[in-house]
Amino acid sequence: MSWNRTTAIAKRVISQVLRDRRTLGLIFFVPIVVMSLVGFSFADQRFILDSAAPALLAVFALFFTFVLTGVSFLRERAYGTLERLLATPVGRGDIIVGYLAGFLLFAGMQSLIILLFTILALQVHYQGALWQIFLLLMVLTIVGVNLGIFVSTFARNEFQVVQFIPLVLAPQIFLSGILLPVAQMPWYFRGASKVFPLTYAVEGLRDIMLRGMGLLDVLPELGVLAAFAVALIVLATGVVRRA
Amino acid sequence: MEDTSRTELLAVAAENVTFSYGHRQVLNGLSLRIPPKRVFGLLGANGAGKTTLIRLLVGLLKPQAGSIRILGEPPSPRLAHRVGYMPQLTALYQELSAQQNVEFFARMYGMANPSQRRQAVEEAINLVGLWDRRSDPVLRLSGGMRQRVSLAAALVHSAPLLLLDEPTVGLDPELRASFWEHFGRLTRQGVTLVISSHTMDDAAHCDRLVFLQDGRVVAEGSPAELRAATGTSDATLEDAFLHYVRRG
Repeated sequence: MSWNRTTAIAKRVISQVLRDRRTLGLIFFVPIVVMSLVGFSFADQRFILDSAAPALLAVFALFFTFVLTGVSFLRERAYGTLERLLATPVGRGDIIVGYLAGFLLFAGMQSLIILLFTILALQVHYQGALWQIFLLLMVLTIVGVNLGIFVSTFARNEFQVVQFIPLVLAPQIFLSGILLPVAQMPWYFRGASKVFPLTYAVEGLRDIMLRGMGLLDVLPELGVLAAFAVALIVLATGVVRRA
Repeated sequence: MEDTSRTELLAVAAENVTFSYGHRQVLNGLSLRIPPKRVFGLLGANGAGKTTLIRLLVGLLKPQAGSIRILGEPPSPRLAHRVGYMPQLTALYQELSAQQNVEFFARMYGMANPSQRRQAVEEAINLVGLWDRRSDPVLRLSGGMRQRVSLAAALVHSAPLLLLDEPTVGLDPELRASFWEHFGRLTRQGVTLVISSHTMDDAAHCDRLVFLQDGRVVAEGSPAELRAATGTSDATLEDAFLHYVRRG
């Protein structure tokens, strides 16, 4: 890997988004709108909102980062810039890590906005340290960015990326214990829930926010999420091919 | 006919290259020897295999049979800094300025020294006549201007071999002439240019040509040699092309 090339790719991704004012606006505006709709619809049922908040944070952090990165990386293919990039001496790892670093800035800010809006505007009650909640969300965000890059390599256009959203995210939402506790599911769904990163993110966030646990207590969940992030970097690097 | 048999002198050597997309055979045992410091034209109708051949030479595709050597080596990322590639699509970052695009590709080609890189970017943008528009986002430039930015991005690292896929498509006659003047200057500086095209205007500017049909070379020579081979004294390159293509 080349530090110079990796940072150049990250800088380029950041410059591109900063120059696209509408996209930039939507990145920050849409999560607030969505969280407002969700939050204020539970205005009279604070208990439900408090207990659903960890799951909502995790789902929206994963959803927004996956869509943002998936569509952006697809554009690299559609406009031929990825092919042009692969004709230079740049390594596949440089591309993936550079892209991850560039998008992590916006995806991380998006996750921070979702978190702060939930805490400050919706006034969700929580236990545990805010930075620990954010740290767990950031690891999930890295998973979302890499998942977006990985999945976009199988799509030929934006329409196909959109089709991947329910395919990739819906099973995670249904089977990660958000709607029904994992323990109450049939054995085959319990097994399936273990292969989804969202399961570990939701469980970790619940431990911190609802049960007041510390980072050491959620290390197993954090570790599995980190392993997902690394595995997806390796997978995404593997599918970006020169020839 | 010039002797191109000494492989160590060749900019490009392809031997019996075969490539297909699924069941569709695109290149069919194609062999090619391109001497250095020339403008070499790949002429053929749409679908003749020009773009596939260039992508194979760049290393974006791998031949299913046969071998390719670029500047004496098989195509690889290690060799990529010695090759400038201009794809058929303009392949630029639309939101970024012309200068940011060229600068980015300079860094990708390994130009790490900021002052040298700045100078190379300035020279490349000046060469394509876009210095006054260097700060404009690519999406606000005309099609011809985007082609020029794309060319600048391929030229910026001063590679000894340029592989340009239909670089003059969509250019007005004046711009096309300025591109060819610049290509001529590059060959005098020792650069080898391989240019794909389907227009005879472009063909006339090349030092040597191959006519491609259905993934095979049907003729090779200088424009004069190819015209002469038709047996007609006033034959044009278009006549020569049709002569060989109809003969198959």
